[in-house]
Amino acid sequence: MAGVSASARGSSAASPAPGAAFIFKKALISALVALVLFSLMIGVRTEAGSDGQLTYMTRFGDLAAMVATVFGGSIVVELLRQWWGPVGTIRIVPPSVQSGLALARRGIAPVLLVFTFLVPVIFYNERYILDLGILVLTYVMLGWGLNVVVGLAGLLDLGYVAFYAVGAYSYALLATNFGFSFWICLPLAGILAAFCGVLLGFPVLRLRGDYLAIVTLAFGEIIRLVIINWQSLTGGPNGVTGIPRPSFFGIPLTPGDDGLAARLGIEFSTTHRIVFLFYLILALALLTNWVTIRLRRLPIGRAWEALREDEVACRALGINTTTTKLTAFATGAMFGGLAGAFFATRQGFISPESFTFHESALVLAIVVLGGMGSQLGVALAALVMIGGFELFRGLEQFRMLVFGLAMVLLMIWRPRGLIGHRAPTVFLHHSQAISSDLVKEGHG
Amino acid sequence: MIASSATPLLEIRALRAAYGKIEALKGVDLAINPGEIVALIGANGAGKSTLMMTVFGRPRARSGQILFDGNDITDVPTHEIARMRIAQSPEGRRIFPRMSVAENLQMGADATDCSEAERAAGMERVLTLFPRLKERMMQRGGTLSGGEQQMLAIGRALMSRPRLLMLDEPSLGLAPLIARQIFDAIRTLNRQDGLTVLIVEQNANHALRLAHRGYVMVNGLITLEGTGAELLQRPEIRAAYLEGGRHA
Repeated sequence: MAGVSASARGSSAASPAPGAAFIFKKALISALVALVLFSLMIGVRTEAGSDGQLTYMTRFGDLAAMVATVFGGSIVVELLRQWWGPVGTIRIVPPSVQSGLALARRGIAPVLLVFTFLVPVIFYNERYILDLGILVLTYVMLGWGLNVVVGLAGLLDLGYVAFYAVGAYSYALLATNFGFSFWICLPLAGILAAFCGVLLGFPVLRLRGDYLAIVTLAFGEIIRLVIINWQSLTGGPNGVTGIPRPSFFGIPLTPGDDGLAARLGIEFSTTHRIVFLFYLILALALLTNWVTIRLRRLPIGRAWEALREDEVACRALGINTTTTKLTAFATGAMFGGLAGAFFATRQGFISPESFTFHESALVLAIVVLGGMGSQLGVALAALVMIGGFELFRGLEQFRMLVFGLAMVLLMIWRPRGLIGHRAPTVFLHHSQAISSDLVKEGHG
Repeated sequence: MIASSATPLLEIRALRAAYGKIEALKGVDLAINPGEIVALIGANGAGKSTLMMTVFGRPRARSGQILFDGNDITDVPTHEIARMRIAQSPEGRRIFPRMSVAENLQMGADATDCSEAERAAGMERVLTLFPRLKERMMQRGGTLSGGEQQMLAIGRALMSRPRLLMLDEPSLGLAPLIARQIFDAIRTLNRQDGLTVLIVEQNANHALRLAHRGYVMVNGLITLEGTGAELLQRPEIRAAYLEGGRHA
């Protein structure tokens, strides 16, 4: 596989009909690459022996078959390529279909939103899908939150999970120790996470790019290690158990007499709580989206984007880059904290295991794959990443392989993400009259 | 025309600045009166851009004083200097490439305390000055031509309704015709709006024709000063920046 795709690249714009020697050479190179790649992966198989010692056996037959397949495949691909001729410039999609596609692109967000609202109605009896929906929406929210920092302000944050953890632990500890309700803890979790965002922001104000990434990565680890080691407060590796479930604005979702079901006079079902959680995270995610869209139209949002583009120019225009960066960190962190509080109440149990670097990387991948700065792109990427992960659960160990391959292909075809274009926030209503309309729109 | 009796709008006294150990400004004195166009010319590496950036506090002055309208701004933070209505179109234009032209212009006014009406008036002024930008309002800044980007950089600086506009090499890399348009626009701004302008240029011929007064900078020091016409006549200027430059 790898060899074939390697050979497929690079020969596109060469001479119109490469000769047999060229094809043979390409196939040979592909086969060689395959040999190197597979010699250890397939050629040698290691196993734990009966006494735990390492035993291995060679599978040169399989290896030879693999290399031969790559060799043959490369020739076939190259011949097919010649047979088809150059495909780059041929317009396969007729204009009418293209305009239809453009329409679909514009309609996708509302359709997706309506569908999301209807998910609990359609899949009421399918607990698995509802749970998956909640999971996807959690990552949509995290993606939108991180998008403020990475997509808009251009500050590469590899420790976003820290804020998620702070939010989750804030709620868990406040609720279990002081008995605060979810609705009081939610804003508190957001505020505490935002505070941590500022805390991270200060030391990294002067850092950019790689250096910033390293420090934020370390920050994520620090928070996790603090949680593990501060046993008296956080319970260390054992986590926090018995986190209260959210109530429906004060009315518990329990089978008891004062529960929501009893009050409404309907039969109790555990699905009620799942549906409630679904709409709760949907509301939180939409809040994140709405705030981000609003902020982008205000000078502060514009300053974030300008900061991503050119810090020197920003300063020369009188933008205070310190506060601009800190607000970006704080805003992103706050949404991470809110999502964390939701995570804690949904799970009922949290431990440091849930807040590893893996989560940061996943959320960052969602933002990058979605197209930095694009709200819809991030939502779609979360759906594809989390949903796709579940979809391929049946494939077991091939899951990561498929996943990696999909990511590589996506980055080749859409290097700027699923939705890579950036919609401007200042609009001209009619091109003749410029001044007032434009300015009002721009100033929100 | 020039009110020489009034206090200068910008006054620089014995200014020294350095990048690490390399001293870029070695005691510069310079004054710009209200309503003046002042050209600062000199070869590459003479310290022209450094002088402009030092007014903005980047790099900070090692010693000396910078006075704006009589106030000492030597140690004021960069973003606050910009809010005192000193605007600059920095070296290399530095527009925001992924943001639209309209957004770029808005950025110019965002940090100031302009009212909505002032903002609208500023936008209108910029668009009358550079009608080309009007056609490009929704385009991304990075897709503009070099000349248009320069217009955008100047327009963005004008959005803050500055009292002093500092331009760093506005004609760099532009076709002569476009450079001329830019210089014409600067002249218009000065005549109609009474805007005070400091223009840093290598294109000495253009800049000195445009300017009321000029300074020549060599190795971090001001070596000559005089009216634009005077400097144009000086044989050493002609040799160093005009004829020499043309053949080089």
